[in-house]
Amino acid sequence: MSVGMVILAGGVGKRMHQKTPKQFLLLGGKPIIIHVLENIEKVDEIEKVVICSPKEHIEQMKQLIFNHNIQKNIICVEGGKTRQESTYIGVKNLKGCDSIIVHEAVRPFVSDKEFKSMINSKEENAIYGIDIPFTVLEGSEYIEKNLERNKLINVQLPQKFNGEKLLLAHEKADKEGKHFTEDASLFYHYYPDDKIKIMEGSLYNIKITTPVDLISCEQIYKEYIVGRK
Amino acid sequence: MKTLIITGASQGIGRATAVEMSNREDIGNIALVARNEKNLEETKALMNPKCNVMVVPHDMTDLEGIEKIVDKIYKEFKSIDLLINGAGFVNPTALLDTTIENFTQTFTVNTVSMLVMIKACVRYMKGKDAKILNIASTAGSTSRPGWVAYASAKAGVISLSKTLADELRDYKIKVYCISPGRCATELRRILAPEEDPTTIMQPEDVAKIISNLLEEEENCLDGQDIIVRQK
Repeated sequence: MSVGMVILAGGVGKRMHQKTPKQFLLLGGKPIIIHVLENIEKVDEIEKVVICSPKEHIEQMKQLIFNHNIQKNIICVEGGKTRQESTYIGVKNLKGCDSIIVHEAVRPFVSDKEFKSMINSKEENAIYGIDIPFTVLEGSEYIEKNLERNKLINVQLPQKFNGEKLLLAHEKADKEGKHFTEDASLFYHYYPDDKIKIMEGSLYNIKITTPVDLISCEQIYKEYIVGRK
Repeated sequence: MKTLIITGASQGIGRATAVEMSNREDIGNIALVARNEKNLEETKALMNPKCNVMVVPHDMTDLEGIEKIVDKIYKEFKSIDLLINGAGFVNPTALLDTTIENFTQTFTVNTVSMLVMIKACVRYMKGKDAKILNIASTAGSTSRPGWVAYASAKAGVISLSKTLADELRDYKIKVYCISPGRCATELRRILAPEEDPTTIMQPEDVAKIISNLLEEEENCLDGQDIIVRQK
């Protein structure tokens, strides 16, 4: 079975209040994207990686891959205007792969073991998810609805899908102009009868979005990640 | 069998360390780097012949060429497991007598070339339980009037060693830093020409300590400025 991977690296640094896109910021002394790639490098099952990046950062990405001597079949392509468009572009570049893993450049703490566990799981489609430890209500200006948190899941990445079906789902969404915030919702919309397994995620699998996330991640990296092999 | 690179291997602590390390069972390949090819050959002649020794003449002020020599060594031996950075240069002068050229050369040989060497080697060492040992000096942590360029360059070595010990921990690479005190080397003779070299620490004493630090079992002393001084 051939496995490909899409890495979404479309950040431009807006929410981090930085000129440097967050995937290039240093965490524990090295760029966040390098943490991700070094873990993927150890996963032999992944045959090809497509990094979707803004055009102006493609050369920088290639240089980092060279500098850090990352030994993996990686191509860097220009992403789209939205996250969904970027994933679609990535998936198109992996046409023919039986299974596609979708991941983000700003989730540096997913270990090689977690990638392998997802890839080698017997489930065709799977995501990592964790329970929601706080109450979630629906509403904007006023509360409109109670939600049962034990029925909700905090969706994480990476996610794994049947390659052919993920491509078809994206094609349909593109034609219909439908927008989803991530790929499990998109896939489920078009294939409601195909099971998507929720694998137990990790509290360390933080998506670095704000400056506070980066501060937390520095501490987590020092205390829990270095030396984890 | 492990592969070791030693810079500054043509004399002093570098040479003594090359000889000491060549006697170790776990080391099969040693690359000797320094400017003077004739002196490197002399070092080679003193080493245990069981080791494959590669003589690599290189002037460490040629920063561009460092990556090329590391690639050449890797191609020959197929691994780089240990790196000892011992290349040094000193030309002591009072602040008002020193020149930009002297300051630049002192920093280039003692500090910048070390950083470039480490950068080139780490690309091959990642994830392989490798070790790097940098030779600083007690001059790097105490005041030495008249040695401003050398002392501050060695302070840089101590700082870069501590930083890289943390930065490279995730790659399973340990970074050590030793600061020898007065040691009977050619470099010391420039700093203290009147001193009787037989009364101070010998390069062989330092070489034994370096060898101990680069043993696989040594697991606790990385990332610190280890003072090596005979009382």
